[in-house]
Parts: sequence; structure tokens; C-alpha cells
Amino acid sequence: MRELGAEIARDYADSEPILVGSLKASFVFLADLSRALPILHALDFVELAGYGSSQMGGHEQIRVLKDLDADIRDRDVLVVEDVIDTGLTLHYLVRTFELRRPRSIAVVTLLDRPYRRLVEDLPVRYVGFVVPDELYVGYGFDLDERWRQLPDLRLLRFDPASPDREF
Amino acid sequence: MGLDSPAFQAYRGTEPPRFASRAELECAKVLDYYGVPWMYEPRTFVLETDEAGRVTEAFAPDFYLPEQDLYIELTVMKQSLVTRKNRKLRKLRERYPEVKIKLFYKRDLERLAQHFHLDLVS
Repeated sequence: MRELGAEIARDYADSEPILVGSLKASFVFLADLSRALPILHALDFVELAGYGSSQMGGHEQIRVLKDLDADIRDRDVLVVEDVIDTGLTLHYLVRTFELRRPRSIAVVTLLDRPYRRLVEDLPVRYVGFVVPDELYVGYGFDLDERWRQLPDLRLLRFDPASPDREF
Repeated sequence: MGLDSPAFQAYRGTEPPRFASRAELECAKVLDYYGVPWMYEPRTFVLETDEAGRVTEAFAPDFYLPEQDLYIELTVMKQSLVTRKNRKLRKLRERYPEVKIKLFYKRDLERLAQHFHLDLVS
């Protein structure tokens, strides 16, 4: 976290970026990153209804559940993601933000699975860890809204012989 | 066989797509939901011809994402049965090195299905 914070602070030394957390899973990472970032910066949040989620509510087009509070025109925007998989959510976010004429958009993600990418044209500038194709919980990551509160990231393993999940 | 399609918003083809599998339909719905322009089997790549110039082997990837300039092929076959498709893909890459294509294996689709709560089998 310190390394990421130092790198971002160096790149934005002459700026006061706005860090935009993509809810929900990124909130813990955003909190830690913000505290590791020794430059002035603002915070905001956005939330989209993911495909297949209960919040989708039968809509066939993506739905914004929480939009930004801040005006990002002429601002340096740093989107904070928990993990990038297919890139579809991030692709939508970046395109939407670009319409609001920010000075720049970049992305920082805690975890990355580049081998699962469906869209490539993403401004991913900072990556915590490239991780294998496993399921994680804790540190904001959930499975069906459970285990977000665990203080650190844990690998979730399914026991095929039992409906109970072990991690 | 074809599966009925909903009214797609990001579809960039001219004819209504006729999906060959549930997995293809679900993939189209996900792309559409996120507003990623897509086409369904827009191009058939010739892989082999005989001496008379007749096409003896061809390959039409399932999806094309024009903004990404990327083809996507899905396969729901078991890993042990994808040899033929892998061979076709290898030929395509040899003959059309400028073409970007990704093959999503059954395991990849299962991960996507898990992520997006897709129903790939009904």
C-alpha cells in the first residue's frame, strides 16, 4: 500500500486528484490507499448494478445505483477498483466519466486478472497484484454479501462434498 | 437451432443473431448490458482450400467487438475435446496474424457464469 501511495503521489505531485471508489468491494482498499497517499486528494464513490445482481432489477442496460457527488470536469480522476476481471464494468465507468471532460482518468486496482479481460482499452496504471484465477473474500471482497468484514484477503475454496464453504 | 434474442442495444450486426447455444446468448446479453458494441459471427476466415480453390476448412468466431477489434470464440466442450478447435485457432493465427482472437474455454465460461450469475445450461 505504501508503494502504491508513493507512486501515485509522485505522479500526481502537481495535482489534487479525486479518488473514485467503485462500490462496494473497493471501500477497504480505498480507505487504506487514501491514508497511504501523502498528497491532497478528494474522495467520491460510484456504484453500478452488476449483471446478474439482485440490483439489476430486470433492466437490460446497466444501471447507476450511486453517481458521483463531485463535478469531475478538469479534474484528475483516479478510479479505485478492488479487482479487474473482464473489464466490462470499468470500461463502462471510464466511458461515462470521459463524457464529463475530466483532465485525466487513470485506474488503480488492488487485484488484476488480465487473462480474463474482454475489453482491453482501459487506462489501468497501478496494479497491486496480478492474481491467479481464484475466489477471494475479506478486505471488502464478498461472496453473496458475506465475509467482507474479514480483515485480510482470504482464498475461498469449495468443498465439493459439502455445501459449506471453507476458506 | 437458434435461440430467441431479446432486443439488443449494442448489437452492430445487420441480421438478427441466431445463437447456437445458451452460452452464446448469455455472453451477448452481458456485452449488451455493459454497452460494449458487438457482432455475431460477422466474418468467416478461410483456413484451407483445395487445388481448385474451394474452401475446405473455415472458421467463424462467435463474436466480434469492433471497438476492441477483438474476436471471441466460446467453447463449452470439455478441455479434453477442444483439440480440434485449438487446431483451428492455431491455423487462424498463422494465416491471419493481424487478427486478435480470444478463446473462452468451458472453465473460463464457468468463471464468467459464476461472476455474472449466468444460466448456461437451461
